[in-house]
Amino acid sequence: MDASELQPITEFIKAQVPFDTLELATLERCCKSLSVGYYSKLSAFVPLDESHPQLYIVRSGAFEVRDNDGELLDRLGEGDYFGFPSLLSGEKVSNRVRILEDGLVYHLDPDTFDYLRVESRQFDRFFNRAFAKRLRHQTRFKAKELTTTNRVSSLMSGDPLVIDVNATVSDAARKMRSARVSSVLVIDNNKLSGILTDRDLRNRVLAEGLEGSLPVHQAMTTKPKTLTSNSLVFEAMLLMSEHSIHHLPIVDDERAVGVLTSTDILRGQSSQPLLLIGEIERQNDLESLIGVSKQIPLLLQNLISADARAEEIGRVLTSVTDALTRRLIVLNQQILGEAPMAFCWLAFGSQGRQDQAACSDQDNGLLLAHEPDEAAAGYFEALTKAVCNGLDRCGYIYCPGDIMAQNPKWRLTLSQWQQRFGKWVNTPEPKALMHASIFFDMRSVYGPSSLFDSLQDKVLAETKDNDIFLAGMTNNSLLESPPLGFFKQFVLERDGREVKGIDLKHKGNALINDIARVYALSAGIKEVNTAKRIRALMESNIINRKDALNLADAHEFIAHMRLSNQGYQYTHSIELSNYLKPQNLSSLVRHQLRDAFKVVHDAQAGIKLKFTRTF
Amino acid sequence: MGFVLRSQLCWRAFVSRSDVTKQYYRSQMPAVSQVFSEASLMAVDLEMTGLDTHSDQILSIGLIPIEKGLLQLNRAEQRLIQINGSVGHSATIHGIVDHQLQAGVSLDSAIEWFMERTRGKLLVAHHSPLDLGFLQVAIKQVTGESIKLLAIDTLAIERKRLLRKQDVLKEGTLRLGACRARYGLPVYAAHNALVDALACGELLLAQASAMGDTQKLTIGELLSVK
Repeated sequence: MDASELQPITEFIKAQVPFDTLELATLERCCKSLSVGYYSKLSAFVPLDESHPQLYIVRSGAFEVRDNDGELLDRLGEGDYFGFPSLLSGEKVSNRVRILEDGLVYHLDPDTFDYLRVESRQFDRFFNRAFAKRLRHQTRFKAKELTTTNRVSSLMSGDPLVIDVNATVSDAARKMRSARVSSVLVIDNNKLSGILTDRDLRNRVLAEGLEGSLPVHQAMTTKPKTLTSNSLVFEAMLLMSEHSIHHLPIVDDERAVGVLTSTDILRGQSSQPLLLIGEIERQNDLESLIGVSKQIPLLLQNLISADARAEEIGRVLTSVTDALTRRLIVLNQQILGEAPMAFCWLAFGSQGRQDQAACSDQDNGLLLAHEPDEAAAGYFEALTKAVCNGLDRCGYIYCPGDIMAQNPKWRLTLSQWQQRFGKWVNTPEPKALMHASIFFDMRSVYGPSSLFDSLQDKVLAETKDNDIFLAGMTNNSLLESPPLGFFKQFVLERDGREVKGIDLKHKGNALINDIARVYALSAGIKEVNTAKRIRALMESNIINRKDALNLADAHEFIAHMRLSNQGYQYTHSIELSNYLKPQNLSSLVRHQLRDAFKVVHDAQAGIKLKFTRTF
Repeated sequence: MGFVLRSQLCWRAFVSRSDVTKQYYRSQMPAVSQVFSEASLMAVDLEMTGLDTHSDQILSIGLIPIEKGLLQLNRAEQRLIQINGSVGHSATIHGIVDHQLQAGVSLDSAIEWFMERTRGKLLVAHHSPLDLGFLQVAIKQVTGESIKLLAIDTLAIERKRLLRKQDVLKEGTLRLGACRARYGLPVYAAHNALVDALACGELLLAQASAMGDTQKLTIGELLSVK
């Protein structure tokens, strides 16, 4: 037989992952070996011959795989497979395949299956992974490392030069000379106490006419800014440029593990996000800030096309927004004068969570240290109006819900904010809570951290273990569910006649944000970034390791799909949206996306059980 | 039902004069009383130069065995047949053009191959009278012997099923593609004898499973649908 004569079968098989990796001759041999069966709902289950395992390839119809106890393991549609576990393990068929919709199924015999595994490593790997049935191995995609998304650990010099806090500056200078470095970390009882640099020796010792016998602790910079080794290089750059420092001690678990210098960073290539932030910090008026912010969409596209991890793209873009906000505050203070009291600029929602993407709107507020008098109130009104207007003109449009610092409703003192949160937490009305959820993802972008902490600590103290509030939040988060229908793989949204596709934001990432938020508030966790929340929840054993990793991967995967979809829309001049049309996806990506949504579905069931069962 | 068909085959074997046809009839006798899930069938489709069994000729024959309710692609085969003259306008339907037929076999060897492959199996075709008509003429031409072939007709099965639910069938309702669509079977763009044999075989599997338990459904029942 000439396989091309059975073109419909060859074409179908050729389009399926992992068969698409096979050589043409191998593929033809494979197609020739198939047998074709048809299964009808009337017979309820696919008859699986225990003594003769096969790979079953679904051509049409819908099926579900259940284990011996009737537990649902998988739902299958066109292009899905079953039967491979017993082919791979040689164990008896133990699962049952229920027929949901009549369909045509191709059978591949074990000899051909083994032959294909030998012929193609990808083929073999695909089924081994599917067998392992662990989402994290399937969805983990390899994002290329960008300089800016590199970790500090990749650039820092490890095994740092250290000196005891009671040594003299001459000892320190000699050590630095023989190690040929420009800084030394000062250690007190194995803990980092300070840093001494060339510049300190010059400015604080020699220029002051002091002796070499001076103890190190009198010349060093105490409590220096530090980062952990898994921080982003980008974050190190920001910290250095904001505080005009050139050396950053790297500390893991209170132990100094290295030093990162500005020279270390410069050795890497100059990077666009940092250049952009540097430019923002150099601008002296609104018009030039608007000009600089025109580069933000391009920055996003560069990050997407470099295939950076979605989480890191969110952090980079949010850092740009933060820098822009801070610059606007500083510039307007130059016009309006010093603020009459301490205040914090609060970011809510996606900026709070550090997961901004294209076309974000503003969600912000102002936290005042105490009740303003009339003059102070006027000052803050003018300041917030100017900053919000500036953000709007830089492309962060006014919040449609008017959650902005320029709205007096969201320009409150510490005690007013505390009361406001207290009301949401203690008398949770469903509707009020729905609008309030973004406030619980808050972060201070500008202002003293002690002021912000007094707000956040109070809020978390009230939410922690507050069953009624958590049940209310959970119920709200369950109003939407992932777009998986009963048999059909994806439920598509329609707008009139036009199929819009899958809403990756509202039916994907937003649901994971909700889940992470409920857990974090229940445990009093301070993190607001969803990935960091999930990590913290895993570390404190609130979510088990496997579920946490699955959820984090699902979050990253869906966010990545959303960004790359927007990258596609951008390059094809289509209006950016959160809708993805699944027919444009390869069948493997469809598999993975479906798995990711299944994780969301399971996690929703998890919070429902944990937080709402008594209500 | 199976009994009647069996005696019919037995009678035909008895009255036929050539050993080839005698053996062919006898080989089919056990098949008629098999149940569908155990049966050996052969889905068949022909491409012709036209619809007249006497003036038109067979261009190709596609065969796909159905064993125990599964279509066996490893034994799917097709033969192109050299014809007298040109395919003419019919090329627009079956897509076979003259130069392809150069690679074809003679009608004699195609018929010999067909008889050998289908021995002991009952045929399955969509609108079987047409295909059987052409095959019977060709067999007579090659062996000099008249033969009466037996086939399960997926079109007849579908017509009977639909007429139980409605009185009048619209034109086109019984075309192969339309029948397949009612069972959710995929659309096959390509048309050749082999793909149509596949399409027809899949339709039979779907029809049989819609008729109920394939372990009880006998071939005799399917054959007798007219």
